Amino acid sequence: MTKAAGGIEVEGTVIECLRNATFKVELQNGHMVLAHISGKIRKNYIKILPYDRVLVELSPYDLTRGRIRYRYR
Amino acid sequence: MNLVHSTSSADDRAVTVTRVSDMRWHAVEDDLTVGRGDASRRPDGRLFISIDAWHGAVFDRIVAAMLADLPTSLYAVVDEADHDSRSAWERAGFAVARREWGYLVPTDPHVSGLGSVRPPSGVTIVPAGQAEEGPLRALDRVIRDEVEATVGWRTMPAEVLPRPAGTTLVDPSKYAVAQHSDQYVGLVRVAPLIRQPRIGLIAVRADRHRRGIARALLAHALGSLHRSGLSAAWAEVDEANAAATALFEGIGARRTAGTLELVRR
Repeated sequence: MTKAAGGIEVEGTVIECLRNATFKVELQNGHMVLAHISGKIRKNYIKILPYDRVLVELSPYDLTRGRIRYRYR
Repeated sequence: MNLVHSTSSADDRAVTVTRVSDMRWHAVEDDLTVGRGDASRRPDGRLFISIDAWHGAVFDRIVAAMLADLPTSLYAVVDEADHDSRSAWERAGFAVARREWGYLVPTDPHVSGLGSVRPPSGVTIVPAGQAEEGPLRALDRVIRDEVEATVGWRTMPAEVLPRPAGTTLVDPSKYAVAQHSDQYVGLVRVAPLIRQPRIGLIAVRADRHRRGIARALLAHALGSLHRSGLSAAWAEVDEANAAATALFEGIGARRTAGTLELVRR
């Protein structure tokens, strides 16, 4: 877990692609969050699939919400 | 660069937006970064921006700062299913310029119906990694010139936009080509992503259209993936590209996503 400029960043695994461009992500500590993908990922047409390992920035307002900032290869 | 762009109380929030570099903006509230904006220029010269914010009011502050700092026209990309993001961009004056469908393409020839497809007479398919780079680059240039003279590359996915050198052939090993006599006449580019490869480009010279070459290239590429144990590939198609849409839907490809390109002029 790292403290990023915008909040806490945690690695996780995408479990499911949901409606409304949202993903269910299981974090390393076993917690589940709902995450959107970042604008930068969207802008670069990077596709997120189940089982992808990702870096999630947690919302400082709601720790069950996050934003996928990076997809690991 | 550290230009404090604005301080405001929007939605009861004291948010300061700062342009921290040439192409980046940060929104800070109580010493916490609550949003970011980024800009980047595509190879074709268009300026695309993206914004990440936890609240709509913060998004509005960042986009206002970016619009004040950047020239028009500006572009953005959103998932069609992400209604909140789309609404936020539309509030800022952006409108849909084009739509791109995402297709899940079956590789199994029994599903796609491509098992019996053969190249037209006189045409052979050169597998990926075996094409000669020089003629392949020449074909790429011919196809690019033809597209530019008709619909133009702005309707094409970002992956295949022209590069400054006039070609996108960064890795010839990803291309299978159709050869007629001594000439390359069509190509298919497959990015070998681990779990879901991506068909990045399929194109045939204009003077060889309507002969089944694209279908033969697709049959070859999907057949190779199927033999490698992959059940599906991914492809993006501009909704205005009726020929490509018909080609993919005709082989059982399923539309699973939509991407919107927005523009503010």
